[in-house]
Amino acid sequence: MGSRQITEKSLVMLRSLPRLSLANIRDNPGSKHYPKRGRGQHSGDKHGAGNKGSGQRQNYMRLGYETGNNPFYLRMPHEPYYRGHHHRREYPPISLLEIQKLIDTNRIDITKPIDIASIVKSGLYRFFPDQKHFGINLTDEGVDLFATKINIEVQWASELVIAAIEKNGGVITTAYYDPHSLFLLKNPKKFFETGQAIPRRMIPPPDVIEYYTSAEKRGYLADPEKISQERLRLSQKYGYELPKLETDQYFNMLCERKDPRQIFYGLEPGWVVNLKDKCILKPRDEELLQFYAS
Amino acid sequence: MATVWRSQRAFARFFVGKTARILNNASDLGAKLTTASISVSSKQNYSNYAHSPFVKNIKEQYEFEIVKNPPEWAYVERLMPFETIPNVTPKAAYPSGWIPPKEEARNLPYFIARTRNHQLPIYLDLSYRGMRKISMIKKIDGDIWLLNDLIKEHLKKTQNRYVETRVHELGRFIEVKGDFVTTLCNWAYAQGF
Repeated sequence: MGSRQITEKSLVMLRSLPRLSLANIRDNPGSKHYPKRGRGQHSGDKHGAGNKGSGQRQNYMRLGYETGNNPFYLRMPHEPYYRGHHHRREYPPISLLEIQKLIDTNRIDITKPIDIASIVKSGLYRFFPDQKHFGINLTDEGVDLFATKINIEVQWASELVIAAIEKNGGVITTAYYDPHSLFLLKNPKKFFETGQAIPRRMIPPPDVIEYYTSAEKRGYLADPEKISQERLRLSQKYGYELPKLETDQYFNMLCERKDPRQIFYGLEPGWVVNLKDKCILKPRDEELLQFYAS
Repeated sequence: MATVWRSQRAFARFFVGKTARILNNASDLGAKLTTASISVSSKQNYSNYAHSPFVKNIKEQYEFEIVKNPPEWAYVERLMPFETIPNVTPKAAYPSGWIPPKEEARNLPYFIARTRNHQLPIYLDLSYRGMRKISMIKKIDGDIWLLNDLIKEHLKKTQNRYVETRVHELGRFIEVKGDFVTTLCNWAYAQGF
């Protein structure tokens, strides 16, 4: 039978056969190999497990176990540098350059005081209060090109950053927010839609009381007299002339601060904001007023 | 033996005719079991107190003053999120180094559009553990081959060497081998994009 006949015969066969489909295909013979446990004199014996020990008994030892030696991971004494790191407060950074960029692209309104709510509102700051984020750390990148007069409230700032803001005639405050109020600041609309009363802001925990009461850090619990002294001292240290706040055209905006118990600017604790009817419910009860004032 | 027998009987006396009503793990076996005490009324597990249904016909506990169109409403509006990304108003200076796109750039035969965040779509693509660096120019339009030639020429001039590029016509982007993001951004700003 010549090769031509074979070709013709196979073509004829192909024409008569059904179309190839998933229903009529199978694996090539010998393409799959299933493991077998050998029996008999030579295939049997140890069945590939070797002679004695872990191989035969299948007691796979735990990670780091050195069959009775003092294991490597226990030889050195324990030095807990990072103990409790997952409980510590985190302050995700944003730089002065980024703040300036947000201002330049109209994401932040500088005619109003800036706080976490307005920075998160810009949509370009990743902030997750449920992941131990406690607010903004304002960092000094772009400190030389920063040139805007702002009233900003952050949670952590270095001396250089404070100097950069005050050199441009601005005001900076460091303030503490408890996680509950940070959730409200992250998404105020969502909170107002629940119809709950705005809670009070909690006071800072003991380890940061010192930070937020110190005038050098521009803490929100510090004495305003001491803060103005520190402003002057810092301007002399860095060698710039301190712009006068009293004669500024935005004096009212620059003086705007929150109460230590207040979460949002202009909205007091205890108020209920109704977004649908555009009205605010203010408590009149003596008991409630006393509670929210305390 | 007698005491044990008596106590067993005393125990059994409690359950005469009641065995069907005894719950599993019931701690008060001797107590009176009625159908009302067995049935569990709540059908839903509420994950949040605020999501539980409202209690009706409750007496108003606290007095509230309802202020319509209050002067504080400006403070509420300031907290509301942006509905769209705000447009950039023209300013005297942009200290951050951001430059607005120029109108003249529209007359060029090629075009690089800004992203929705008003930034240049020029990115650095790092792969193979940062070993392969590719600068990508996205959102290109018009005569992209001319744009490619100009970029190549500009990079040859600034880098003093040949720089490999690749044009993806369908995806509308140009890939440049190497990290030239700053150079390319400056060039694009200079062109007016």
